[in-house]
Amino acid sequence: MANKFTGIGSESKQLATWYFTFAAILLGAQLVFGLVAAIQYVMPGFLFELLDFSVARMLHINALVVWMVFAMFGSVYYLLPDETGIETVGIKVGKLLYWIFVAAIVVVVLVYLFIQVGPATETSIWFIHEGREYIEAPRWADWGIVVVALGFVGNLFLTGMKGNRSGIVTVLMADMIAFAGLYLAGMFFTDNITLDQYWWWWVIHLWVEATWEVFVGSIAAYGLIQMIGASRKVVEMWLWIEVAMLFGSGILGIGHHYFWIGTPEYWWEIGALFSALEPLPLVAMFIHVMYDWGKQQGKKVAGGSDESVVANKPAFVWFWMNAFGNFLGAGIWGFFHTLPQVNLYTHGTQFTSAHGHLAFFGAYATILIGMFYLAVQGSNGIKVLKHTKASIWSISLMVGGMLGMTMALTIAGYVQVLVSRAQMGATWAGYFDGQQGMWFAQAMDWRLIMGVVMFLGFALLAKDLLTTGKNPVHER
Amino acid sequence: MFEPFTDVVPSFFGWLNQGPMTLTIFLHSIIVLPMLWIYKQEKARLEQES
Amino acid sequence: MAKISVWSDNRFWQRSAAWITGFAAVLLIWLTFDTAGQIAMGTDADLQAGVTKRVPGPTVINYKITYEMSTKRGHEVPVIGEKEMFFGRDDYSEEEAGALLHLGKLGSQTKNCMNCHTLLGNGAYYAPDLTKAWLDPAWQDGGTMQAMTGKSTKEEAMAEFLQHPSTYPTHSRMMPDLGITPEEAKGLVAFLKHMSSIDTNGFPRNFGRMQGAVNGK
Repeated sequence: MANKFTGIGSESKQLATWYFTFAAILLGAQLVFGLVAAIQYVMPGFLFELLDFSVARMLHINALVVWMVFAMFGSVYYLLPDETGIETVGIKVGKLLYWIFVAAIVVVVLVYLFIQVGPATETSIWFIHEGREYIEAPRWADWGIVVVALGFVGNLFLTGMKGNRSGIVTVLMADMIAFAGLYLAGMFFTDNITLDQYWWWWVIHLWVEATWEVFVGSIAAYGLIQMIGASRKVVEMWLWIEVAMLFGSGILGIGHHYFWIGTPEYWWEIGALFSALEPLPLVAMFIHVMYDWGKQQGKKVAGGSDESVVANKPAFVWFWMNAFGNFLGAGIWGFFHTLPQVNLYTHGTQFTSAHGHLAFFGAYATILIGMFYLAVQGSNGIKVLKHTKASIWSISLMVGGMLGMTMALTIAGYVQVLVSRAQMGATWAGYFDGQQGMWFAQAMDWRLIMGVVMFLGFALLAKDLLTTGKNPVHER
Repeated sequence: MFEPFTDVVPSFFGWLNQGPMTLTIFLHSIIVLPMLWIYKQEKARLEQES
Repeated sequence: MAKISVWSDNRFWQRSAAWITGFAAVLLIWLTFDTAGQIAMGTDADLQAGVTKRVPGPTVINYKITYEMSTKRGHEVPVIGEKEMFFGRDDYSEEEAGALLHLGKLGSQTKNCMNCHTLLGNGAYYAPDLTKAWLDPAWQDGGTMQAMTGKSTKEEAMAEFLQHPSTYPTHSRMMPDLGITPEEAKGLVAFLKHMSSIDTNGFPRNFGRMQGAVNGK
């Protein structure tokens, strides 16, 4: 099965490593600006009117979205030659688009940092930012993103149609075109804030609770085949079941964002009961990973060997963390506040923030970091990539830091719900009463501490990834 | 038998919303039930192939 | 004949996935058409005729807005009452009010409100929710915020605060100066007043009803 396209000489894999490298840099930036924002909760005067919370937070969440998109594009370029058996079609265009994408991101970040806000005109929307959470990128950059995404989807389709179109590639083709197309729903201006948020959720929700989740399912399927030699037929059957369950619950699950923005009451019911099913496929994915692992290891043991079937230890741990973190962060923490009776009080509190942190990390960051490890394995020609001290510590610190932040934010959200919402009726004064509560203040201290822990974990991750090529412990 | 309509504007989906379950059971059913038909077709195909 | 299992057949699941995805997408599009009609902005004629719209037209700034319990709906709803002065006028035409709202909505995005505040509950959690900010007791006559700015009406007090936020701190966490001009501030206040008239199905619950409650430290 191995040929010159799947080894070190593959241009597609080279492009993938470029994407992963820039993604990792942006992940670092995301953590830095997250720390700035976390410090501001504890010390409100920190960088006041220099780098305000709004700017730090915009950079924090935009870096999040963009590093994940980079890592997702990278993952697809990485797996395409393995799945299709050919070099990616249009790889030269892909490389050109990569540099355009990087250049655009750098310009956007510099404008965010140094211009920050503009006058209330259309020009500001076009050239500074759009001020819409997660998709703040200015309109010119929106069009740039559309061009880059079209090029990427084009490459994926041409390669999929020319080479061997496996089940994984088929799912990715359908998923990535929806992923790119949905971005268009967030590219217009309207005076009607209800209509604005209606379409804004098409982008945000249908990305993170539908198309991105299906993407994760495909990557998990690919990873299981690569890392533990799982049976393709079994893995792809699971993948189709996951697609059915994820889209079946996720598409109409969008209703849980339409409870309170001015949309009709029937969304209460649709949102509540479709999104309540969203955790099911996430449980299934976890079972699926455990099942395949046990099955492959069991075969090996039955054959009289006690060696591990896992060809890339850190990547496999990150994939495992993904299966569990997706269920815990997106599934459990999401279900916490998805019913309208609960959401009436939790909507717009730190509860959402707790869920957002654990879900993005558990569902996406983990598996994409796992892909980083698969890529360093492939690009260095390593047969079995083992754990190092740095890889174990980075996993422990990052996961521990994230769980700590989530606990802290959940407690903060609890105070907010009880004091600001239920007791004080959500006014300005009520809001600050909640923020001054001791539980809230302490939770914010802990969130900052845990953020630092996570950052240390990231530093070790970077060190481990950068030194893997020269480390003699790995089997070549 | 039917609940009075409470939302601002009457609509088809609002009308199906007769309580906490009706609308969602309806939507889930029309999404999932046609799988029976797919099941039957695939079963026939597999039997023919074997 | 070997025993067959449709449940472990990839093609069965592939077709099921395609059906479920496609049909759920069709339902969402159908629901979107239905909802889009219901959340389209109303007109001045609707307001004059007393037609309730989920999102009233911009000329709602000519009227008094309250947030009251509705026994029919089972939660609070915005109620549009008699005429009320807004920056000294209650006769904004549809064009004038529309232009103010347009400016305010642009301002809400370009000033990045949503990355500290929440609007309709969405955004960041670093500052208070603005969904019903217009109805906040602190801004009313005799309210602390209005008194602090030394202005005699709610809209002027809000506009003053928006232009010089760090002059009027309410907490150690302050709003930064965002270079908001007097005209932009007026637009933003119109935007906030309009937002408070949107029917949010009872969110936030009990808004402003619990004044003077003991805080939960």
